[in-house]
Amino acid sequence: MTLMEVQGLTVRRRGAAVLDDVSLTVAGGEVVGLIGPNGAGKTTLLRAALGLVAAEGRSSLAALPPRARAKAAAFLPQGREVAWPVAVEVLVALGRAPHRATAGGLSDADRAAVARAMARMEVAHLAGRPATELSGGEQARVLIARVLAQETPLILADEPTAGLDPAAQIATMEVFAALAAEGRGVVVALHDLALAARHCTRMVALKAGRIVAQGTPAEVLAPASAARVFGIEARYDDSPDGPLFQALRVVSREVP
Amino acid sequence: MSRAVLPLLAVLVLALMAGSLLVGPARLGLGESLSALLAGGAEGDAVALVMQEVRLPRALLGAMVGAALGLSGAVLQGFLRNPLAEPGLIGTSASAALGAVIALQTGVAALHVLVLPGAALLGAGVSVALVVAIAGPRGGAMTLILSGIAVSAFAAALTALVLNLSPNPFAAAEIVFWTMGSLADRSMVHVWLALPLMALGAGMLAATGRGLDALTLGEDAAEALGTDLRRLRMLTVGGVAALVGSATAVAGAVGFVGLVVPHILRPLVGARPSALLPASALGGAAMVLAADIAVRLIAPDRDLKLGVLTAIVGAPFFLHLIWRLRARLA
Repeated sequence: MTLMEVQGLTVRRRGAAVLDDVSLTVAGGEVVGLIGPNGAGKTTLLRAALGLVAAEGRSSLAALPPRARAKAAAFLPQGREVAWPVAVEVLVALGRAPHRATAGGLSDADRAAVARAMARMEVAHLAGRPATELSGGEQARVLIARVLAQETPLILADEPTAGLDPAAQIATMEVFAALAAEGRGVVVALHDLALAARHCTRMVALKAGRIVAQGTPAEVLAPASAARVFGIEARYDDSPDGPLFQALRVVSREVP
Repeated sequence: MSRAVLPLLAVLVLALMAGSLLVGPARLGLGESLSALLAGGAEGDAVALVMQEVRLPRALLGAMVGAALGLSGAVLQGFLRNPLAEPGLIGTSASAALGAVIALQTGVAALHVLVLPGAALLGAGVSVALVVAIAGPRGGAMTLILSGIAVSAFAAALTALVLNLSPNPFAAAEIVFWTMGSLADRSMVHVWLALPLMALGAGMLAATGRGLDALTLGEDAAEALGTDLRRLRMLTVGGVAALVGSATAVAGAVGFVGLVVPHILRPLVGARPSALLPASALGGAAMVLAADIAVRLIAPDRDLKLGVLTAIVGAPFFLHLIWRLRARLA
């Protein structure tokens, strides 16, 4: 089932295209890794797909009314903003906003979803703590739990694993894989190519606002492709432990 | 604890309103005052007159102005995600003051009791239109703050110009005293002028709670959660302007309430912006009522100005908050 479809998405800033004619379809069961160098347009693609930034082209999500869109896709922004020292469970419960009636407190279904999300991200023990007083990694997991509590068919996550320790990075990607196994879809912008290689079902490489490669991790991270997209020499092995990717050295440091 | 906050604040406000009704230069007995207030004229016309025409509007306006400032401060802090935001930030109070000052200077304020507050409301209205026009239709928190500061500064400069050019020292003194804020010598006319606008503003701000909660996660996350940011901004700016404009129109500039009250109450309600709104409204009412009782007790015959007292108490208190913040960050 198609969860998101963008066609010819273009975003211009001061006349220059920061996202240039991007088309992408995401279906249930997929973990799509969005990769590319800094400034390639990963964040802009996620924001434009959601309609958070004015764009030319078509996006199935941006076309929806705000509440319907919030039920169709959850978004984890890159900046981990928590403005007020609210309790962790209150913060996670913000994910229930699109499901709640205009008045009244949380329903039993809301509470159950919040509990599930916190359990999944292993933050249930933090429930009563002020979210601003957590460690960076704990805060990142709490914010992912907020996205899970939204219980949408599709999740768009911008660098969800940045700043997490290796165990938490793997656990987070495994949560996304489990969601995909349930038939949901995940689009995740990542800088860690080794992590992406192991946990994504499909990869889309952006460079200078355009899609320059897409396919299985093995195709996108093959040496020729890695050199073209990232300007690095890299090794990609299909080992008995799964795909292993290691960047080795810079081959060209061209400015895109 | 957070469940008990609202009932406790409500009791506090009621107690302070009762206190406000009982404090004044006319030394009236407790029973005498209350029966005069309720029955109206049963114990002689003078007592009923003092209670119904002097003290009742003063107590009502104290609660209304305080609630308006407290609620506006809480909403603005939530909307701008900044604990230093205060109701004057978007330029409304400075512009309302400018309108009033022009009315005083030109002498039109003497024509009718409603001219002065009317001019203040006009100033507030113009400032909102200006701020929204400068900030642009999609402007975020930062453009709103900056355009508010610009409008505020311009209104303050024009106020200074009016004072500067004032040919008459008595008019200048009157203007200066007016800007200090006071609830003395107000009547039910002021209550009826402010009430509908304040009800409108409070209604608009009451609808912002969910959106402000979502904004805890930042503008992108809030929008992706289904929050209509343009509508939220419209409600915030319109509601704050209606409340602060009418509060300034009837009471002059009363500073620090909208800044300090949300600050004090935030930890008591678990920091959730939506929970802070009713608490700050009640807390603001309590603070202004208490300050207005204090000005009558401290200097009964000197007409100590309300805004002077709230600033004298508010500023050191604010320093104390900064001190605590510094200690926590160290």
